[in-house]
Amino acid sequence: MSQKHEGWGWMLAVDFFFAGMGGAMLVIAGIVDLFVGEGRTSALASFLGAAFMALGSGLLIFELGRPFQSWRVFMNPRAILTVGAWVMSLAICAGLVYTTFSFAVFPWSDWVLVRKLVAVVIVVSGLIVATYPGVLLGRLKGRPLWVGPGMTSLFLTSSLVTAFAAHILCGMIVAPATIGDVLARFPAITAVLLAVQLLLWVSYMWVKISGATEAEAVAARRLLCGEYSSAFKYGLMLVGTVLPLLLVLVSSPLYQAAGAILVLVGGFILRMLVIYAGGADRTWLPGEVKYRSRLPHGDEAFMKAWNEKEFWTTNK
Amino acid sequence: MARYAMVFDIRRCIGCHSCTVACRTKNELPMDMIYNPVTTVGPTGVYPNLSMVHLPLICMHCDNPPCVDACPTGASQRRDDGIVFVEDKKCVGCLACVMACPYGARVKNHESGAVQKCDFCKDRVDEGKLPYCVLTCHQKARVFGDLDDETSEVYKLVNGERTVRLLAELGTEPYAFYIYG
Ligand code: SF4
Ligand code: SF4
Repeated sequence: MSQKHEGWGWMLAVDFFFAGMGGAMLVIAGIVDLFVGEGRTSALASFLGAAFMALGSGLLIFELGRPFQSWRVFMNPRAILTVGAWVMSLAICAGLVYTTFSFAVFPWSDWVLVRKLVAVVIVVSGLIVATYPGVLLGRLKGRPLWVGPGMTSLFLTSSLVTAFAAHILCGMIVAPATIGDVLARFPAITAVLLAVQLLLWVSYMWVKISGATEAEAVAARRLLCGEYSSAFKYGLMLVGTVLPLLLVLVSSPLYQAAGAILVLVGGFILRMLVIYAGGADRTWLPGEVKYRSRLPHGDEAFMKAWNEKEFWTTNK
Repeated sequence: MARYAMVFDIRRCIGCHSCTVACRTKNELPMDMIYNPVTTVGPTGVYPNLSMVHLPLICMHCDNPPCVDACPTGASQRRDDGIVFVEDKKCVGCLACVMACPYGARVKNHESGAVQKCDFCKDRVDEGKLPYCVLTCHQKARVFGDLDDETSEVYKLVNGERTVRLLAELGTEPYAFYIYG
């Protein structure tokens, strides 16, 4: 029986990871194009930005109870998920179109004004895609770990930092068409963002524990010293934040690549932690935890007998 | 237009779970789905001054329902008379409403893939009948009616007794009211 922990699972966490990283990768490519110049970031990064978002939304479809009806999620413009679905579709298309400008085989590759316009579209839509999961979670009033504006900044920062890391790795695989001056600064920017991420998490935990409701304090403590504390402290904070912060600052491509990979690992752990630790917990109503803990799990003798009822009702 | 509400007099509820069973029977729910649990709080206190209360829970049919706002397909809806329901054929089972509901009132049907919930037995209400749980409650701990009708029992109870709403601080404006003492 699944009365207690009915909620989102790992597929949504993977979707949030890929969508956030992909959206922010396009934001970075677009901003660099608009304010520094074309060809300064890897074309692979622009393509993968769109591809990651497509992969994320593909996974999200499998998370649905009725995947073949997934088109219906575009139907309620008041819902954040609908807005997210529309903007993500736009960002994927715009990202793919933007990538084509890197290849001379496409006749429009030298239409500068159009490229700049598409760059604006990928910056705006990518920013929304990178941010909206945090907004979505932060609005869920009965979920003490998520509720509030803090999730938005945590998701945006993580999306940006993973996107910079992905740009570093893409640049190592397919170098930018023009000089790599911009790319050379990405490790330092990544380090700054990792420091910001660390600071944001410390503040978030502090706010949840000290200033908010008791339910929020309990939820935060579960990350700090409860069942999720190892994943939080060693996975997200140490392996996913502090260690890569040090590695990307070393001026060696090998260390920087290792740091960038750890940043991606950290971004993934963050999504898993946030979805599982926050989704398992509601602001419980009086007596509810005890009630739900007493519900059968499905493997009890009487449940097995019940499940065989067809046998004993038709053979009596 | 009516504005339906339910009042729970928890001084009367004896925790017999008849309403839970009646609801499951009426809605033909699978074994792993419950629309209206009855929780027990206590016993609290020190002998001989002990107390124990039972708390029937349902979908609160919120006036400001976060579940409806969260639903990307429009499957979750609120009627003009305040009844919040799920239009089964539109639901894709994304669980956005389950996560948005602070009262745990929604459950996924693992056979159909859609989310279901208490709808105040709207088919019965439309025929002028009472929700099945109300009809079943032999202690008369549940009272259902139109809060806009000054002659109705719910109107008198909500405006005359000391009623509370669960998690009122969240601003969902639930239309389930509790009389606790
Ligand atoms: S109790 Fe939950 S399901 Fe019912 S109307 Fe309120 S938010 Fe929606
Ligand atoms: S699970 Fe169904 S009713 Fe709930 S938000 Fe998704 S589509 Fe709407």
